[in-house]
Amino acid sequence: MILTGRSGAGKSTILKCILGFVLPAAGIIRIDGELLVRESVWRLRREMAYVAQEPDLGEGLVQDVLERPFTYRANFHLRGNLKRTTDLFERLLLPVELLDKEISSLSGGEKQRVALISAILLDRRIFLLDEVSSALDETSERAIAQFFSSDDQVTVLSVSHNRQVFSDSDRIIELPYRHSEEGE
Amino acid sequence: MNTVDISAASLAIGYALLIIPLGILLWHRIPIVGQTLVAIVRMTLQLLLVGLYLQVVFKLNYPWLNGLWLLVMIGVADFSIARGCGLRLTKLALPLLVALFAGVAVPLFFFMALILRQPNLMEAQYVIPIGGMILGNCLRADIVGISNFYEAIRKSEKCFLHSLAQGARLTEAIRPFLRDAIRAAMIPMVATMATIGLVALPGMMTGVILGGASPMTAIKYQIAIMIAIFSGTSITVLLAIWLTAKKGFTAYGILDRQIFRK
Repeated sequence: MILTGRSGAGKSTILKCILGFVLPAAGIIRIDGELLVRESVWRLRREMAYVAQEPDLGEGLVQDVLERPFTYRANFHLRGNLKRTTDLFERLLLPVELLDKEISSLSGGEKQRVALISAILLDRRIFLLDEVSSALDETSERAIAQFFSSDDQVTVLSVSHNRQVFSDSDRIIELPYRHSEEGE
Repeated sequence: MNTVDISAASLAIGYALLIIPLGILLWHRIPIVGQTLVAIVRMTLQLLLVGLYLQVVFKLNYPWLNGLWLLVMIGVADFSIARGCGLRLTKLALPLLVALFAGVAVPLFFFMALILRQPNLMEAQYVIPIGGMILGNCLRADIVGISNFYEAIRKSEKCFLHSLAQGARLTEAIRPFLRDAIRAAMIPMVATMATIGLVALPGMMTGVILGGASPMTAIKYQIAIMIAIFSGTSITVLLAIWLTAKKGFTAYGILDRQIFRK
């Protein structure tokens, strides 16, 4: 599913609402029929993976950044997924040598793909992607689109200015632009 | 050896020494003369009041009164922390108070009961100066730790939210920030312990020597107080962050910006 619309229309804010980072001024959010409230938000977040527009992955080596989520109790049982790392690096056209580099030394596009790999390793069913294509070249963008279209078990909600990405998406929602205080 | 008292007349002569710093300030037109005079007056009045009050407390030496004195000091410290961190007091005062109390009470009890083996745990001569020194350091550590913690999360909110999105519980998401804040709060004390005695004679040791004890007794007090302070700061900073975090974040795990004054 693609979420599109002008800059400032609230596309990113919708993703943040779904994650419970921003509370909607009106209306409710249901994920798989379950209401997103303070009691359910912690469990529902574990159903989702989020890649921010300019991801801040903290500090350390890329390898450490990828291992960090598995130190959280909710992800202990998924630790084995780390062996898929090299395969994912290849599929998303990243050189494996990056694993030993400092995350801060990576380019914007590389960081985004590392964030995406980190999200994929967590085996979530719902992916919230915020402008993942913005810092990518066409080839890596296509590689990502291909990766997700090959798996029909997952739902991808992707914010994009560019309708070309995920051209085989099921739905495209264009947000109307209304002036709001909350920026994108 | 007994400590020589300073008579009022002698102290007045002591004030005469102020002619030198004030003279330098005036001569070079350094615009802090007014501020300096106010500070000198405040120092004199505040210490005079504390001296008078403590004289009464020491004379009576009621355990409950000594304890109350410490509690009042902890209360005053509580206000200074919230002010020093730029945080709103209403939400955080109680957790900070508990953190300060634990940071002082645990090492103070250790000091009084196990090191000094005092039959009266609230003996004014020991409990007030030692408690005061531990408290002063807990206060400083809490200001550094708390402001470091909340400022870092405010600055790196994206990174913090990212870990929540990856399934971290609140305790897991704050862990790296907690680690940095505790480090920042404790590292000055580590540096002090490493250089103590080389650069300057530490305060408590000086006091014990002036009180008439031998230098060997004085260093034993100094070592014990350093350990007590170091333990106290570790307890108080950890608790201050843990306990305020319950109020500082919303039920959704988002930093509550209302705790900041600006």
